[in-house]
Amino acid sequence: MAFRLQRLPSVRPEIAVAAHAVAIGLAFVVGGIAVTISGHNAFTLAAKVLTASFGSEFGLEDFGLLFGPLMLTGLAAAVTLRIGLWNIGAEGQFYIGAVFATGVGLFFSGPPWLMLTAMFLAGGIGGALWILVPTLARAYANVNEIITTLLLNFVAVLVVNYLSTGLWRDRKQSVLGATARIPYEVPNLSGSLHAGILVAVAAVVLMALLIRYTRWGYEVRISGANIFAAHYAGIPVRSRLISVMLISGAIAGIAGMLEVAGTVHRLQGGISNNFGYLGIIVAVLAGGSPIGVVFSGFVMAVILNAGIILQAQGILLNDVLAMTGLILFFTAIGEQVAHYRIVATHVVAQEA
Amino acid sequence: MSVALDRSLAHGVGHVADPDAAPVVSLRGITKIFPGLIANDAVDFDIRAGEIHALLGENGAGKSTLMNVLTGIYQPDAGQILLDGQPTRFVSPAQAIGAGIGMIHQHFKLIQAFTVAENIHLGWGETPVLISAKDIEDRTRILAEKFNLAVRPEARIDEISAGEQQRVEILKVLARGARILILDEPTAVLTPPEARELFKALRQFRAAGNSVVFISHKLDEVLAISDRITILRAGKKVALREAAGCTPSILANLMVGRDVVLHHARPASPHQANPGDPPPMVLQDVSALNDRGLPALTGIELELRAGEILGIAGVAGNGQRELSEVLTGVRPLQGGDIVIAGYRVPSSNPAMFRDAGIGHIPEDRLRSGLAPSLSIIDNAVLREYVIPPVARGHFIDHGSAAALAKRIAKDAEVGIPSFQMPVRNLSGGNQQRLVARREMRIAKSVLVAAYPTRGLDVGAINTMIDYLVALRDSGVAVVMFSEELEELLNLADRIAVLYEGRIMGIFNAKGADMEEIGLLMGGKTKHGERVA
Ligand SMILES: Nc1ncnc2c1ncn2[C@@H]1O[C@H](COP(=O)(O)OP(=O)(O)OP(=O)(O)O)[C@@H](O)[C@H]1O
Ligand SMILES: [Mg+2]
Repeated sequence: MAFRLQRLPSVRPEIAVAAHAVAIGLAFVVGGIAVTISGHNAFTLAAKVLTASFGSEFGLEDFGLLFGPLMLTGLAAAVTLRIGLWNIGAEGQFYIGAVFATGVGLFFSGPPWLMLTAMFLAGGIGGALWILVPTLARAYANVNEIITTLLLNFVAVLVVNYLSTGLWRDRKQSVLGATARIPYEVPNLSGSLHAGILVAVAAVVLMALLIRYTRWGYEVRISGANIFAAHYAGIPVRSRLISVMLISGAIAGIAGMLEVAGTVHRLQGGISNNFGYLGIIVAVLAGGSPIGVVFSGFVMAVILNAGIILQAQGILLNDVLAMTGLILFFTAIGEQVAHYRIVATHVVAQEA
Repeated sequence: MSVALDRSLAHGVGHVADPDAAPVVSLRGITKIFPGLIANDAVDFDIRAGEIHALLGENGAGKSTLMNVLTGIYQPDAGQILLDGQPTRFVSPAQAIGAGIGMIHQHFKLIQAFTVAENIHLGWGETPVLISAKDIEDRTRILAEKFNLAVRPEARIDEISAGEQQRVEILKVLARGARILILDEPTAVLTPPEARELFKALRQFRAAGNSVVFISHKLDEVLAISDRITILRAGKKVALREAAGCTPSILANLMVGRDVVLHHARPASPHQANPGDPPPMVLQDVSALNDRGLPALTGIELELRAGEILGIAGVAGNGQRELSEVLTGVRPLQGGDIVIAGYRVPSSNPAMFRDAGIGHIPEDRLRSGLAPSLSIIDNAVLREYVIPPVARGHFIDHGSAAALAKRIAKDAEVGIPSFQMPVRNLSGGNQQRLVARREMRIAKSVLVAAYPTRGLDVGAINTMIDYLVALRDSGVAVVMFSEELEELLNLADRIAVLYEGRIMGIFNAKGADMEEIGLLMGGKTKHGERVA
């Protein structure tokens, strides 16, 4: 009796989830081996990471500061996947959201609740504006959104650098490469952890509900599954595409606003922390599902947090970021492998 | 049914399959279970060398599933496959084709953006690693000649007819050395001349000692082409017959398990349109382009009438797809006007056409009528999600959506174990039934039905025709596209002939001259001249 692999046309959801879990596990094993080879004890390091992240209030707060933005950028990428598009530009939209929020916070004044609301809206608008051109190009000229959203990320980096080191530079205190401190802050929940994480959870829940329970969400799902059928059914595919892309940009922009108004308090280069790019991984790990983003965002936050902790142990941040690459890599493989099962090629006896 | 079949071809000449020879393939007690449903229940089926073996059964009887088990797409839950007497199990279609068993599926699996030659050579061990486009085209040409199948190697799949696509599929399988060819409803998408060509090729293939499994719902065809016939009912094998002693009604009774009436005459419409009412839809000098931007329809003048079935006759590819899409607002006009119930409407607004009570059974349900990966519920509400009770303001009421899906499935007589499963898991005929019922629900004034009986079993064809007649009698204007002139003559009140994007003439079905219509379908008039 010999065994062969058989490819299945579709994958059962429980198998798909298991494949993701195994992929993440494998990435940790490989990471662990690499760490061991470089002369560390993987288990002590893992224990350290866990106690440092979850063993103390400080650790949990730091963890939350990563988890929140990852959920939002992951959500931004996930919603476009529902209509079959890729937003690779959450990084840029994050930056521009931060720029808009900073502009409002620095140059206007008013009661904090009003100013924070205005900054929140400005962040969303900034992110949406940053994805507007790729959106229209896609909707009206069928220009591939992957390229356009990606390229605008580099422009956004330049805009932030220009503002933070030039036009908006803090001239009173001689802080280099950053704007003055924004006088309005997102209220804190505990220690350094601000309320942004609640916004992220609310956004995830809201999007999940919109997609599942509204006509708009139904139209988005049909458009993503078969654009010809959507058109046939009278669904305004173009306008759904535009709304999904703008919402995605706005979510990333809001993540930028929360980062600048909740965590960093100044606009400065590198403020995005790669959250935009990591969000793509989060969305893919979540299979494009908003609720899934909570879980994959959590995993990603653990890794990032581990990176910060491990740096103190003499491990380079890059090594830790390589972990995220490994995870994505194994997940991609896992998704393929989940399509296969092993079967016997020869059946000797008659089966009942 | 298919009138076009040459009686002279009805039985193969000089063909002999040795009835005592061991079968080349033998399926023993094959059982395939899907969640909530036994698709194949201990089925025995064997294939001899040099025979054409037909597989018959109602929609959802398990025909496609059984062949998918044989070719390694599915694994059986019980039972055995013997190949030349040896127990075998294929784990992929590639392995089955390696053993000489190739299948042409109900829905073609070619890559649209690739050329014919590229599709033939894709995923084939014998394709040289480095090879130019010209070389594979030459190789394809040689193969096409060898197997006597007319294909254009350099043409892209999306620019060739369904018949040619099918020849490509067949060539692909034959090139890989198939000696057993499985065809799942091959004639559903063919014009009658294309079907005749196919049959000729199949007979040649058989004459060389090869075998064919032939799945079809067209009983005349089955009787004409096959040597033996196996019949499935609800997953079980109920009969194995020699074709020679069978008639269509014997086969139909075996499939359904009770007596069925195959044809009944349908009286003309009793409906009297109120003379004051404007016609439900009028096309005035309409022209439109096809997907490639070339003119597909020119100067179409057409008036639909309430309470009437208008048949559109013509050979596929003469503008049928475009006309059906223009009539339902899916395709923009290049010129001319559409007037619905007296109002001139902007073209290409499917939602507006839907709201005006215009239903659309599209010719290609998987591509344009369904979202195959989404659930049966999502697909069932595709037309009614905008109106209560499924729509509740801006929200979708999932309870009502599920109820609507159940209602449609019940009306369509489709048994469904789980409404959450993707619609692509349904059998081809059952998908067609659901789409048809869904569209009939919204067709308050017009129903545009492109090949509505395609893929349906004999019983379902009768039911479908009864429904079309009932719709007509209730005052709906039905437009029915069909390639089967007899079907149209039997059913329609008027018949329009479409040829190269023009309407060649409109006739009253009663007393229509079949010969004249047939000639017009080929672009000729009765006096032998070609029409421009
Ligand atoms: N992947 C699947 N998952 C669940 N059910 C399936 C799947 N494939 C087929 N079925 C079910 O198995 C039954 C048999 O389907 P099959 O496609 O074999 O029918 P068929 O005889 O080919 O019908 P038709 O004439 O309509 O093509 C149907 O009820 C179908 O819904
Ligand atoms: Mg089938």
